[in-house]
Amino acid sequence: MGVEEKLPSGFLLTTVEDLANYMRSNSLWPATFGLACCAIEMMAVGGGRYDLARFGMEVFRASPRQADLMIVAGRVSNKMAPVLRQIYDQMAEPKWVLSMGACASSGGMFNNYAIVQGVDHVVPVDIYLPGCPPRPEMLMDAILKLHDQIKNTKLGVNREEVVREVEAAAISAIPTHQMKGLLA
Amino acid sequence: MSIQEIKNQEITSSQGADSAIEMITIIVDGFEVSVPKGTLVIRAAEKLGIQIPRFCDHPLLDPVGACRQCLVDIEINGRKFPKPQASCTIPVEPGMVVNTQLTSPVAEKAQKGVMELLLINHPLDCPVCDKGGECPLQNQAMSNGGGESRYEGVKRTFEKPINISSQVLLDRERCILCARCTRFSEQIAGDPFITLNERGALQQVGIYEKEPFQSYFSGNTVQICPVGALTGASYRFRARPFDLVSTPSACEHCASGCDMRVDVRRGKTLRRLAGDDSTVNEEWSCDKGRWAFKYEHRDRLTSPLIRNESGELVEASWPEALAHAAHGLSINRAAVLVGGRSTIEDAYGYSKFARIALNTNDIDFRSRTSSDEERNFLAALLLGKSVTYLDIDKADQVILLGFEPEEESPIIFLRIFKQVRKRGLKVSALAPFTSRGNEKLKATVIKNVGNEVEDISKFALTNRSVILVGERLAEVSGALTAALKLAEQSGAKLAWIPRRAGERGALEAGAIGNLLPGARQVADPKARQDIERAWGSGPLPTQTGLSTDQILDALHKGEIEALLVGGVDPGDISASAIDGLRKAFVVSLEIRNSAMSEVADVVLPVAAVVEKSGSFLDWQGRARKFEAAVTNSLHRSDVRILSILADEIGRPINLGTVEKAAKELASFGDGSSDQKSALASLSADQAKIKEPGKNQAILTSWRLLLDNGSLQEHEPNLAGTAHPCVAVISDDRANRLGVVDGDLIKISNSNGEIILPLQIGDIDPRAIWIPRNSENSRPLLALKSATHSLVSVVKA
Amino acid sequence: MNNESNSNELEPLNRAERESHEVIDNGPSGFASQLKGFWVTFRTMFKKVNTVQYPEVKEATAPRFHGRHQLNRHPDGLEKCIGCELCAWACPADAIYVEGADNSEGERFSPGERYGKVYQINYLRCVFCGLCIEACPTRALTMTNEYELADDQRQKLIFEKEDLLAPLRAGMLLPPHPMYPDADDQTYYRGEVPGASPLQENIAEPNK
Repeated sequence: MGVEEKLPSGFLLTTVEDLANYMRSNSLWPATFGLACCAIEMMAVGGGRYDLARFGMEVFRASPRQADLMIVAGRVSNKMAPVLRQIYDQMAEPKWVLSMGACASSGGMFNNYAIVQGVDHVVPVDIYLPGCPPRPEMLMDAILKLHDQIKNTKLGVNREEVVREVEAAAISAIPTHQMKGLLA
Repeated sequence: MSIQEIKNQEITSSQGADSAIEMITIIVDGFEVSVPKGTLVIRAAEKLGIQIPRFCDHPLLDPVGACRQCLVDIEINGRKFPKPQASCTIPVEPGMVVNTQLTSPVAEKAQKGVMELLLINHPLDCPVCDKGGECPLQNQAMSNGGGESRYEGVKRTFEKPINISSQVLLDRERCILCARCTRFSEQIAGDPFITLNERGALQQVGIYEKEPFQSYFSGNTVQICPVGALTGASYRFRARPFDLVSTPSACEHCASGCDMRVDVRRGKTLRRLAGDDSTVNEEWSCDKGRWAFKYEHRDRLTSPLIRNESGELVEASWPEALAHAAHGLSINRAAVLVGGRSTIEDAYGYSKFARIALNTNDIDFRSRTSSDEERNFLAALLLGKSVTYLDIDKADQVILLGFEPEEESPIIFLRIFKQVRKRGLKVSALAPFTSRGNEKLKATVIKNVGNEVEDISKFALTNRSVILVGERLAEVSGALTAALKLAEQSGAKLAWIPRRAGERGALEAGAIGNLLPGARQVADPKARQDIERAWGSGPLPTQTGLSTDQILDALHKGEIEALLVGGVDPGDISASAIDGLRKAFVVSLEIRNSAMSEVADVVLPVAAVVEKSGSFLDWQGRARKFEAAVTNSLHRSDVRILSILADEIGRPINLGTVEKAAKELASFGDGSSDQKSALASLSADQAKIKEPGKNQAILTSWRLLLDNGSLQEHEPNLAGTAHPCVAVISDDRANRLGVVDGDLIKISNSNGEIILPLQIGDIDPRAIWIPRNSENSRPLLALKSATHSLVSVVKA
Repeated sequence: MNNESNSNELEPLNRAERESHEVIDNGPSGFASQLKGFWVTFRTMFKKVNTVQYPEVKEATAPRFHGRHQLNRHPDGLEKCIGCELCAWACPADAIYVEGADNSEGERFSPGERYGKVYQINYLRCVFCGLCIEACPTRALTMTNEYELADDQRQKLIFEKEDLLAPLRAGMLLPPHPMYPDADDQTYYRGEVPGASPLQENIAEPNK
């Protein structure tokens, strides 16, 4: 991700990790990506009653260059998918994606030709939030869980190790087309 | 036009032969409709699109008027019936005016009343009932019932469910006493295994105490039950109708060619239902076709296997396995054996693969006891006009030669039984004993084992008679020729009925040594040129190919060193087949691990019927097309894999898809028109069997419908209704041995022995009959002979 | 542009406006209005804070809030779900997957013949509409007020039967165990079973 990638193995990493993660998790700036009804709840979170400013996150940036968290709020249509991807690509590393609501997470009840069946077909998602739409507390809960996740992110060689583990798990996992439940 | 298309046309054109039917015009709800005399009012209304609710009415069963749901107002020439009448029992008459629930308040009130009465004792357990969601009672209660029940008492309950057989369960409290199941068992299947007991409010469906519900057709009662009273044990609680994706399909089990419907949930077949084809299976299917499908899911091969240096089969990648197979097949002299379960497209793939990629005619689809005589007989048969189910309907006499319809092709049995019941069709059979099926057909059984050829020539037939020849007749030398001659002399129609679904198709695809695709003779240079031009290939091999037995013999002698097999069980051919296979380099295309994979050097997994498209040619020569029911399968059809394998060998056959193979095969047309020569080589001599000694008998056997067949595995409920595995001996012999029904007897020869409980039957006193492929009775493996050989029979 | 003609054109309108509305100046202008605006801000500083301190303070939802589902139990611990799949049928998002199975005498999970062997809800699809709750014929499926469901993996958001089943309360036994003595499924549905009896416990013991 940055200079920490270049550091020699294990050296100073625990402390650097903690510090870097602390700073990253407490300075998330969301990019506005309100696509449908979920966006209303997302706006509510920015308002006084739920007050995302308590986590330093009230500024929804209209410019992807200045944002590092993309809250995909609403169903992503096939036409919006390339736009979404472009915004994501324009965001600076490190960056995270929160898939807000059933439609963004999986297409929800819109299992049809027009809607992307889960935004993770387009961008890597770090946290999924169910709900239709999720209430503001649910979004804050997801954001806090994301904070936790960021705080526990491994960096440098530790990260490489994690990546290897995740890949090994993915390879050994049962492919979804073979998941048959108990049908026999 | 392909052979099948021509034949299908013949089949359809022969249907319209009945003419000059008297038409009667009646008025239903103010609309005029003309229907043939004898039509029931309910069906005349149907013709107008007026749906009268009904439960007991079924177009293929005799009217009974049991449920009273179809009450309508009828007046004839101005005279009104005093009360509403059941429209399912009254035939139309001139001057009839019918008012259904749509126009007559009386009829509507009557129907609502009947529905209310039916629902009084019907439990409200639709959420747990298998029929829920596709239930005629549920639907018609919604469309024609009253909204609310006035009944406040306690509903009648019975202990439930009762197993009336291992595969059919009965919930008596759901039963509305429509008598569909009992009428089916009596009128269609001829097995009176289920009946209505008691009378009045206590009336309920029951079984005969002494006779178990052992019918090969019991599954149909589950399908036609208009409520959830009869349910299948295997499907019970497995899914709801809205979970299932239904695909029309064809049955892969026998040559009857049933139309089926496959219901798939998440890529797994959960049930199969009989399809509706009035020219083939009507609306019925046998239990094997309905329930034997678990083989699709259990111990399937998922990746290719290769035998390594230490002799173990290990998983390999596709490119590796294909390269290995291609190498082994191309450096050795190779032959091809095709199983009887292949679709016509797959069989064509094998046929083309043998001719082009292996440059040989050594291919045979008959993975069973067979003879050269049979091969010539089949070549000659393709010249004749095809015989259909409708010919059986019109026949004055049906002759069964080496063919046991109930066990070997159950839908033909139902067709014959229907005519026997309706108009006393005369049935004669050449068989060692009067089986249960023959009894039901009231057949004259000629029991004279060893003199079949002579007996065949004695039949007196007309040109309306139908001769049904089973594949077992090939086991008697000269008999097929005699049958052919009988047909020629009398003008009777002759049909050959193989036991397996793929054999007729394989024959026409040329998966046999003496024929090329499109029924062309290998020996005919012009026919070869036709095919060479169509394939754009070099000269085809000219020599007539070896038959199954000859191929196995050549394997023993080392003359053939490599073999391509597709779904063959060596145990079906002979006891020693497996030894020959051990010596050769065997490439086997299979859906599951089998006896063949024990000796195979390369095993390539292929798709089961549900996972591929294709067609079977049934015994009539009618193509039964089916589409893939499981669409996301990773398995591929045989023909696709053969095509890749041919590419690997370097002599492509260009059959990438099933559609392409079908199209190419259809383009050949019928090339059999001017080749009558095949008959000349046939001779009608039968080798005499020595008269049996005191404790000896002539062995006879056939396969039961439900036996040890590999496609019936993993379905214990189905196996539970198999006919008992017994040896049938005559009364006389039983007295001599001092045994009674149920005692064990030992059947032996120099190769081995079989011990079975006996049953005294109406059998040729010199003969003994045992099942051919049941649990304790596999004569081909134990005795190295299945029929027409002497065995000693003693008390065990 | 001609200024005069422009004013001429506007004239009739301006006159009419002047006649109908007197322009009323109802507040201080300039600096005073700014003061007034800041006064609102200043006053608010002494008002009770409206913000919900979410992670620390969790406000109760409305009682009928549609949260995570729960599969309920009968008072003796047997499951209410009969695996009828009506919830799956009702679901507009196709988020529920159920497989039914036979209760046997040895292994009984619910009263009656049938129970839900597999029960999955895909919370990535679920829209919390509650149609499944309306469809359930045995009140086996209800919704709780729990809403903290976010997770970082798709698999974790497909809730299995174990995740959805209600916890065992006092007097309940963990199925499989037989029905209450002399009770049948009807007795259960009428709510006449008080709780697990010692008889059930004895038989249920070996199952554990």
